[in-house]
Amino acid sequence: MIEVRELVKEYRAGGGRAVRAVDGVSFSVADGEMVGLLGGNGAGKTTTMRIVATLLVPTAGVARVAGHDVRTDPIGVRRSLGYVSATTGVPDRLTPREVLDSSGRLHGLDRRLLGGRIAALAESLDLGGFLDRPCGRLSSGQRQRVSLARALVHDPPALVLDEPTSTLDIVGARHLFELLAGLRADGRTILVSTHRLHEIEHRCDRFVVIDAGRIVAAGTRAELVGGRPGGLEEAFFATIAGGAA
Amino acid sequence: MRPPRPTGGWPARLAIARRDLVEFVRDRRAVFITLVMPMAMYPLLALSSTLGLRTAMLELDRRQESRRLDVVFSGADAEALATRIGALAERAEGRPEGWPETVTGRVVDPATAQAVIDEGAADAWIDVPGGSLAALDGAETLALAVRLSAFRPPDRRAKESLLAVMRSLADEVRLARLRRVGLPATLIEPLRLDFSGDAPASSTAAVRDILPAITSAVLVLLALLTATGAFYPAIDAIAGEKERGTIETLLIAPCPMLDVVVGKFLAVFAVTLATLAANAVSIALTSSVLGRFLPGGIAVDLRAGDLAACGLLTLVAYVGLAAVAAALCLTVTAAAKSAKEAQNTLTPVVMLIAALAGAALVPGVEARRWLPAVPFAGHVAVAKSLLATFTASAADDGRSSGEAAQPAAQVAVAVAISLVSSLVITSLLLRVTAQLVGDEEILFRGPEEATRGLGRPAPRSVPTAWQGAGLVALGFTALWYAQGLAPPEFVPALIVQQAVAVLAPLAAFAWWQRVDARETFALRRPAASWPQAVAAVVGAALLGGGLFVVGAALALATWRGEVSPEAKQFAGQLVGLIRGGTIVPAVLLLAVMPAVCEELFFRGWVLSAAAGRRPAARRAGLAIVAQAAAFAAFHLLPERMPQTFAVGLVLGWLTLATRSLLPAIVAHAAHNATPVLLVALATDADLESAVEVRGGLPPGSVAVAVGCLAVGAALVAFARRTRDRDSEGP
Repeated sequence: MIEVRELVKEYRAGGGRAVRAVDGVSFSVADGEMVGLLGGNGAGKTTTMRIVATLLVPTAGVARVAGHDVRTDPIGVRRSLGYVSATTGVPDRLTPREVLDSSGRLHGLDRRLLGGRIAALAESLDLGGFLDRPCGRLSSGQRQRVSLARALVHDPPALVLDEPTSTLDIVGARHLFELLAGLRADGRTILVSTHRLHEIEHRCDRFVVIDAGRIVAAGTRAELVGGRPGGLEEAFFATIAGGAA
Repeated sequence: MRPPRPTGGWPARLAIARRDLVEFVRDRRAVFITLVMPMAMYPLLALSSTLGLRTAMLELDRRQESRRLDVVFSGADAEALATRIGALAERAEGRPEGWPETVTGRVVDPATAQAVIDEGAADAWIDVPGGSLAALDGAETLALAVRLSAFRPPDRRAKESLLAVMRSLADEVRLARLRRVGLPATLIEPLRLDFSGDAPASSTAAVRDILPAITSAVLVLLALLTATGAFYPAIDAIAGEKERGTIETLLIAPCPMLDVVVGKFLAVFAVTLATLAANAVSIALTSSVLGRFLPGGIAVDLRAGDLAACGLLTLVAYVGLAAVAAALCLTVTAAAKSAKEAQNTLTPVVMLIAALAGAALVPGVEARRWLPAVPFAGHVAVAKSLLATFTASAADDGRSSGEAAQPAAQVAVAVAISLVSSLVITSLLLRVTAQLVGDEEILFRGPEEATRGLGRPAPRSVPTAWQGAGLVALGFTALWYAQGLAPPEFVPALIVQQAVAVLAPLAAFAWWQRVDARETFALRRPAASWPQAVAAVVGAALLGGGLFVVGAALALATWRGEVSPEAKQFAGQLVGLIRGGTIVPAVLLLAVMPAVCEELFFRGWVLSAAAGRRPAARRAGLAIVAQAAAFAAFHLLPERMPQTFAVGLVLGWLTLATRSLLPAIVAHAAHNATPVLLVALATDADLESAVEVRGGLPPGSVAVAVGCLAVGAALVAFARRTRDRDSEGP
């Protein structure tokens, strides 16, 4: 389970001025649930996800993953979490097998267990054809699958994916979300953000819309769209406009 | 519930190190530049320098062997003396050391002799007046006037050759005189030496004399190249990960940041060690080949076993250097966003390492006292000592290395100090690196911050730590050039040094970085009320004066008169300035000017940059130490550094304690004015007796100085208490 309560994050801008990127955000993602975090550029999505992934320390508020607090038990959070972002890369000179092996060792997996996990991930994420090819020679879709496999190598109960499809074509994006659907079916907690609303419109259980650091709407697709024509995208724009008003 | 798997610690560190090393090994260009190129570079360097050296040696020997002496004689007995010398020259046996290969003599009139010698057509002109031969054959001493040519290439050998010829003539005359009085020839020859063996040619001896200098230069080169081995892996380790977008996967690894950094360090350290080994092997092999190109005699010192031992000893001395270089490169590249930015930050590192390593070449700098603890300078000095001690013991005469060999136990202590110091410095640097890697502002700062370039940034209250380091780097560079720009006269040189190395960089930075001058330079009263402010200033003056006397006493006790020629020259110039003029200009020049300029620089800009606006106790302590270290290094002379470091600590504490620069300026001025006043008021007899004192200052004056320190500290503490109380108000 991912739980966020009254989360605040301030940055220091030029001249020492404080800028509040996240301002009192609260939501939760239950086990076996996939929640979409929506918002424009600079809305605070990435900052929120980075706090959940322990990459940033919150100024105030609470964020927990599988019961571990990001502030007091970041190591516990990292053991329970897989994280993939749009900017996450894979080392060009290593093979996917070496990437997974290195990541697994960092998570304390022994050689026997690690071998089994790599084989299982290679099968479920279809990595077999390029498992021993240097990552520098892989397509962006293949690299993103390696990245996802790396996030899953320690079998975490929760996943945070920050715009995981931004570098993928439509086929790759569809394949990725099919994989995520399978992971959700396994009981994993998934928090995902994307700008391509049509990709997740019918895949997420709930949505949280964030604008200027604050939550402006939250609920299922039906609750957000209501009777409005145009689906989630139109609902999103209406929410943003309403939130800004 | 399943217990969590243990993570972090050495398994995590080794996993990161293994991953980075695999990446490095698969980068062929990096492997070639880091490990293979040194193997090709030393032979090329050695070949070119050896060929030049060999040519120079051959030329030297050729000139030595083809030595000839041309003499012109004039005067009434010139013909007779020339004949006697000609007969001597035809005899091959009994020629003394320095006898030329050929001797020619001409008898001319004085005018011609003058012209010949003026034109440089002969080496010497000897005027032989009438009666000279009679004097020789009698019992008198013949005094002859000899004029050497000033127009020939300056060569002491002409004089040596002439002396050798005349010694032979004198020996012949002595023997004739002994025979006349019936005494045996052995009377004037109580000892005869029959040499056997082959003494080395003079050029070989000359090269042997400069071998220690060549060795030292190679050690500095080795230090630099070893450090360059850390460059590529360090750039790739953190900045490269950021550029490729792979850093996030390490930052969310379930282990402390220090584990990640130590893992990275292990990989960089391994490559640096491999670079060191490759360089050492290349140097050893090149040296063994070098011996074949050089004439016999030099190669005696270059046996294969000795070379291997020297290589191993150098590795021992440089293991710490490799660790510090790897950690330093990681630290400075940790704040970079890209590989290109990281490369730029490494340029000052090269300069720093070159300056520190090169300092070990200064005559008199040895691996003694605290020097082994200084990174790079200490490593080179320790390696020098190790090699000198080893070659001295290998040759068993203590002279083959040309260096003053230290006792083995002393060298072992120096090695231990160097290794412990390297361990401590490396550990500190890695902790700083862990802080920098996890720093949110550095990790997620946007490209606009990174590409700001030389544009003026937004106004700030005090400079950042990087801006502080930048001013120190610029100041050091300016100080270096000021040495060349400054006129030879002492007073103008002092003014140029303060203007070029202190004021100009400070003014440039202050204008460029748009800081709040009042905050940065602590331009405020040292206490709330005037009495307390006066107490702070008086206390600072007492502290400054007391610090000088106590520092001088400690320095005299430590160095026991063993100061470098540069330090003696500096002291002599100071005394000359003070005794040669009136006291007011001397105080202004030596006390007030440096106090104002250097306090604005170090306790103003550098301290506020390192400490921040309202520092916590730990950061304040680190900031005081950092600026004091820079202040000490700025004073260049090693003998002065411990004292200037201590003074820097006190001045830094004064500034932070009173939140005003004024007490530091007053204390600095009092510190510098104390010797000026002492020298000005002393009699010549006092100065002479002071020069003779080697054990230390009179105990009475030291006791007074300690009293000044105690009273001064109490006054400052009093003023500080009132300020603290005031600052707690609304």
